[in-house]
Amino acid sequence: MKKLIESFSDYPMVSDRSEVSKHNYIRYRIGRIKHEYWLKNRKSKDKILVDTYDWFILNNLRPGNTCMFGSAGYYLDQLVENLTVVEDWPVVKWFYPAATIITDRKEFGTLYPNTFDNFIVVNNRGDQWAERDGTVEHIGNYTKSLRSGGLLFYSFRDTQNNEWNRLTTDHYKYYYEIANIVKEKYDLNLLWHDIKFAVKEPLPPDFTDYDIMENPDTTNGNIKFVFQYKDNTHPLDTSFLDD
Amino acid sequence: MKTTNKKIEVVKPYSLYKWTTNFKRVQERFFDNQYKLRRIQQIEDFVALNNYRSVYHVHEVHLDLDIPETTDITTADLILVTHNGYSRYPLNGIVDKINSWLDTGADLYLCLNRHYLNIDNQKIDLDLPKEFLPAITSWLKQSLPMATVVDLSRNYRDNGTQFSWVVPDRQYFIKRT
Repeated sequence: MKKLIESFSDYPMVSDRSEVSKHNYIRYRIGRIKHEYWLKNRKSKDKILVDTYDWFILNNLRPGNTCMFGSAGYYLDQLVENLTVVEDWPVVKWFYPAATIITDRKEFGTLYPNTFDNFIVVNNRGDQWAERDGTVEHIGNYTKSLRSGGLLFYSFRDTQNNEWNRLTTDHYKYYYEIANIVKEKYDLNLLWHDIKFAVKEPLPPDFTDYDIMENPDTTNGNIKFVFQYKDNTHPLDTSFLDD
Repeated sequence: MKTTNKKIEVVKPYSLYKWTTNFKRVQERFFDNQYKLRRIQQIEDFVALNNYRSVYHVHEVHLDLDIPETTDITTADLILVTHNGYSRYPLNGIVDKINSWLDTGADLYLCLNRHYLNIDNQKIDLDLPKEFLPAITSWLKQSLPMATVVDLSRNYRDNGTQFSWVVPDRQYFIKRT
């Protein structure tokens, strides 16, 4: 009889033996969906593909150094000055040698203290599977790398967070509260936010052709924040989000 | 922004998630040795031990189940739902859909993905437990007063390694009384 497992951790994976392997590449790809943009952009001689949220970020960056963490950020390396790409999967070095690999977000405080004018996290699968307190702690680690006045673009999905009651909690209030907490803890000032949940039509009587899709923007995350560290005067232009 | 000679094409965000239907088979290749998901064994055991002979399986991910399946829902004695999409219905829609499945006369083995429930952030006018997992069971029981609802789920803190997108984690046996 085959061994019964409930979790990845119940059995050793092939990929555990080697950090750079096809298995680790596939596992990384499953969690870093914007890697697909890089696959397209590196082959194109005349075109760079970005989406409207990328465009919003690109046009609102402060001059200086930018870090992208856990977001396959190399897909923007043709468009962002002084870009540092940080990931926690060693396999990234295989195809993007300039990446910095970390094993713990606490390393930001020692590797890059007060370094970046912009810090970007877009739907990082590794940031999810956390409680709200865990999300706040991640944001705290990123803040250690920000210069005074620096921007944090942070977006994620609500459907992989833990330990909150989706039936009794107002989702919007629950996530908006993050902005209040990080203001209090880290002096991060909310410049802009976009928190959207699915708007469902009434079910048709025969249940056919009903929209069973997920929340808006599964690619970038349906919960988006822009914070400014120790300041709140950076002008943001949201017109770049328009279709 | 860096200057570039290339044309920048700005597109509306579109879903980049792939592999949905083959998620189980993709994940199986991560392992050296043969294994089986406990929750798949649980479903197969449930079908066999309760002597169901004709199972109509509503699925999204290919599960390679060893059960007696039928493609005709009218001949089914059990409807098995492992499709994640139904967890993304609004809550009243999930209840309506359960009732429509039960209207066929078959029993129901329903798997719901906890992370999608109440996806449209509706306020629920029921007295529910504070803890999320008991609240799901309580919501179903209160919403289906003409049915027996048995919670067959295993309670655990999901950290992303439990195959919840292969077979949704909250598992219920539902039968009309």
